[in-house]
Amino acid sequence: MNMEAQNLQRPVSRLDSSHGASCKTQEPLLEIRDLRIEFRGKDETVVAVPDLSLSVMRGESYGLVGESGCGKSTTAMAILGYLGRTGTVASGSIRFDGEELVGASPRQLRKVRGRRIAMVYQDPMSALNPVRPIGAQLAEVPRLHLGAGKAEALEMARAMLRDVRLPDAGDMLKRYPHQLSGGQQQRVVIAMALLAQPSLLLLDEPTTGLDVTVEAAVLDLIAELRHRYQTSLLFISHNLGLIAESCDRLGIMYSGELVEEGATAEIFRRPRHPYTQGLIACIPDIGGDKHSRSLAAIPGHIPLPQERPQGCLFGPRCEGFVVGQCDRADLKADEAGPGHQVKCARWREFSRRQEGAATVNSNGDSDAADAIRLSNVTKLYGTTRGRSLKANEAVTFSAKEAEIVALVGESGCGKSTLARIVTGLDQATSGEIRMADKNIAELQARARPKQLLQSVQMIFQNPDSTLNPSHSAAFSIRRSLIKFGIRKGKAAVDRRVRELLEMVRLSPDLAERKPEQLSGGQKQRIAIARAFAADPSLIVADEPVSALDVSVQAAVVTLLLDIQRAKKTTMLFISHDLALVRHVADKVVVMYLGKVMEQGTVAEIFGAAAHPYTQALLSSIRSTDPDRPKAAHIQLQGEMPSPVDVPQGCRFATRCHRKLGGICEQEAPPLRRLSASHEILCHIDPTPGKTDPDDATIPVGITGEPAND
Amino acid sequence: MALESTVPVMTAAKRPARAKWRRVFRSKTALVGLFLVSFWVVVAVLAPILPLQSPTEPDVMAMASPFPSATHWLGVDILGRDILARLIFGARTVLLVAPLSVAVAMAVGIAMGMVAGYYGGWVDALISRFSDIILAFPVLVLYVVLIANIGPSIINIVIATTIASAPGIGRITRGLVLGLKQQEYVAAAKLRAESTFYIMLVELLPNCRGMLIVDACLRIGYTIITIGILGFLGLGLPPPNPDWGGMVKESTTVLNVWPFMSVEPSIAIVSLVLGFNLLADGLREAWKP
Repeated sequence: MNMEAQNLQRPVSRLDSSHGASCKTQEPLLEIRDLRIEFRGKDETVVAVPDLSLSVMRGESYGLVGESGCGKSTTAMAILGYLGRTGTVASGSIRFDGEELVGASPRQLRKVRGRRIAMVYQDPMSALNPVRPIGAQLAEVPRLHLGAGKAEALEMARAMLRDVRLPDAGDMLKRYPHQLSGGQQQRVVIAMALLAQPSLLLLDEPTTGLDVTVEAAVLDLIAELRHRYQTSLLFISHNLGLIAESCDRLGIMYSGELVEEGATAEIFRRPRHPYTQGLIACIPDIGGDKHSRSLAAIPGHIPLPQERPQGCLFGPRCEGFVVGQCDRADLKADEAGPGHQVKCARWREFSRRQEGAATVNSNGDSDAADAIRLSNVTKLYGTTRGRSLKANEAVTFSAKEAEIVALVGESGCGKSTLARIVTGLDQATSGEIRMADKNIAELQARARPKQLLQSVQMIFQNPDSTLNPSHSAAFSIRRSLIKFGIRKGKAAVDRRVRELLEMVRLSPDLAERKPEQLSGGQKQRIAIARAFAADPSLIVADEPVSALDVSVQAAVVTLLLDIQRAKKTTMLFISHDLALVRHVADKVVVMYLGKVMEQGTVAEIFGAAAHPYTQALLSSIRSTDPDRPKAAHIQLQGEMPSPVDVPQGCRFATRCHRKLGGICEQEAPPLRRLSASHEILCHIDPTPGKTDPDDATIPVGITGEPAND
Repeated sequence: MALESTVPVMTAAKRPARAKWRRVFRSKTALVGLFLVSFWVVVAVLAPILPLQSPTEPDVMAMASPFPSATHWLGVDILGRDILARLIFGARTVLLVAPLSVAVAMAVGIAMGMVAGYYGGWVDALISRFSDIILAFPVLVLYVVLIANIGPSIINIVIATTIASAPGIGRITRGLVLGLKQQEYVAAAKLRAESTFYIMLVELLPNCRGMLIVDACLRIGYTIITIGILGFLGLGLPPPNPDWGGMVKESTTVLNVWPFMSVEPSIAIVSLVLGFNLLADGLREAWKP
């Protein structure tokens, strides 16, 4: 039934841009036409991509965006002819440089793969062979594809490593993948892809899993290399914000179909399709905080291939759905401007969505008492030979009642360890954590009185491990209610479970489902319900949304904020996503290598960041507003040093772009208080008046974005 | 601001909860194994009401020609006892002793592995080294030494199996627990003041279930072989009880004249062990992540 409907609408839409903005006369490099990809199992056939047409011009960077499960990676795999045993291209064509790839012989495909179309995958660790040194793996590419000799190939590999800005390329060639950091590995993978000088580079979420600063550097690198090697890009991502700067043209993909396509700036200025508007609205933009704009979320979820509706696939999630107009099988793509195609029956009626109005009043009541105060919390892990790993050192900050304090920093900065100490899953080596006039720093969960356990609850990072796969979704919520005696008696407990599920906007029918039947967003909502079930006064949220799709992220964060506000819970919000933090937090604590580098209110951190590290972090955020002048990105040099041997003096000195000189490397920086709430740990005195000779070296435009506009 | 998201999400549940077992029935391997095992279970259970001859009373008349005949379908043994009846009554012992000893070994092994994996440190070191010592013994020598010393009886076979198998089970459990205890749901349980015993039993053990069931199936198979060997070595149940290994042993002297007397009980052992092994393979196949 459904498939017939799909077939009926097949010949209509062709969302390519033969009159694309940049290239008018050229033949496209990659042309996908009426592509239909099916996965044929024993019992059923799943249509992953019903009908897709797009083209990538020579030298163009094309971004393919959509939520997970929309078929974007499948499309990339189809281009390379890697659909596995069950996947087939049922109809349509993929032409690359005038050559048909659908139905090409394995020999033909082999000539194209790697040599002319290269791919960069999401996980660099699994793309590299762990038992061979980098050099051998890189040299293999020119030897295989370009027929280069051994010495020549190694020389090419070395040159390419220099191009992807890996330090000490000669030494790097001898290293094994596990000796590199995630960012370095991804650079090696990019280098490997570029070595054969391909004309098309497929990038499948190349920066997912990397830290923000690393992500920014990798994106810059891709943009730079693209121009140098004149490679066309097909950039696949679920995050519109991420590829806004790197792509010339965007295709918005939904459930295997392009719903909108056009030049990047055009799409951001005048998004026509409600789905695109939704995707844009759910990106936490650095230009606004929670007091000025709340994140919008797209309700519902992407339909499974078997349950695609007739007509507009986005219909069931669209606010503007009209029967008889949106569910017609002959829905066509429409021209909304030059090169701007949109597949929506009512696009003319939709103007850009109103952004959420400022509704939130500040939580931080300045007179409120401190809910929790950390002073000089230090955590050392003993390692062999008497050395110790400094996970946290002298961390000091406090959170007022009903306030949200964000802990920010790259992975390895000790923010998660701190979360474990506060909740009692780990023990501080020294220092004090005062909560309700008690020092809980060295109390582990087992030693804590029940009442204390109840008042500090945690929301975890990984939706796949936060719920026990052997028990129902409501199991842990129910246990929490029983253990803390929040409700007595089975009926009362069950009633409360239902209330909590409704509070996180889940249907109570989900209570008895097993976690494997829930989506990531749903599991994370259950985890939120579980944390709030104990009626805690403090919630520690450790990257609660970082594993979720952007559109789901927005929904979960909004929900978390709503509940937090209603219950006046204090929250420690741990995240590496600064744009998100700006939307969530009242106060921000920036950590680096176990130490607090800077802390202050959201306005102070985002408006007048004074520490070079904070400035670097802020500059790595990409703005999605095409009209906003692009800020220069501060490239942090090198990698974060190992927490086992931390630099003497300032922790950040090894990577700092504003280093004063010897003093930074030898002397521990002083704590400078800039206001009652704002303090930094740095040798540079940011107070104006005193002109610092080194201030001249600060790149213009990176000293912080304007707070509000 | 408003968000009416995700209320009735996922209309079609992808995997109903029972699917785990249903997948087993799709596996041909598991089905063949299940058939072999249930055949022996059914005949063993029904043995007293089946129209069988006595497994212990000799039929002197049949001894002239012990070959399979209409009265003795599988023939008689050197003492003139009906082989079919002896096989079926022998299955009762095997199917009682093997699962029972594995069950006891599992209980001990799981407890050891759980404690070692969860607590780590010196507790782990102690239990693991102790296990290593036992695992370093050749299993059969261990059995022979134990049974020869404490005498053949059902209880003693159970004790011997437990000593020989528990360390291996413990090792598997420990490995699983080492991974599982890092999971966030375990941390969540600690934060709601659950006792360690509760965490082990309710949060961790159910997630080891799959691997342990597969392992138990394999171990029942091995234990059947071991019981057979013990019988063959004369350390099985004392005569005149029917014992598969003992039956093979008794007939070895006449192997070149009446080979069926040894071959038939061997086939019985093979079919039952094969049944458990195929079942284990099928389960592993069906439940692999």
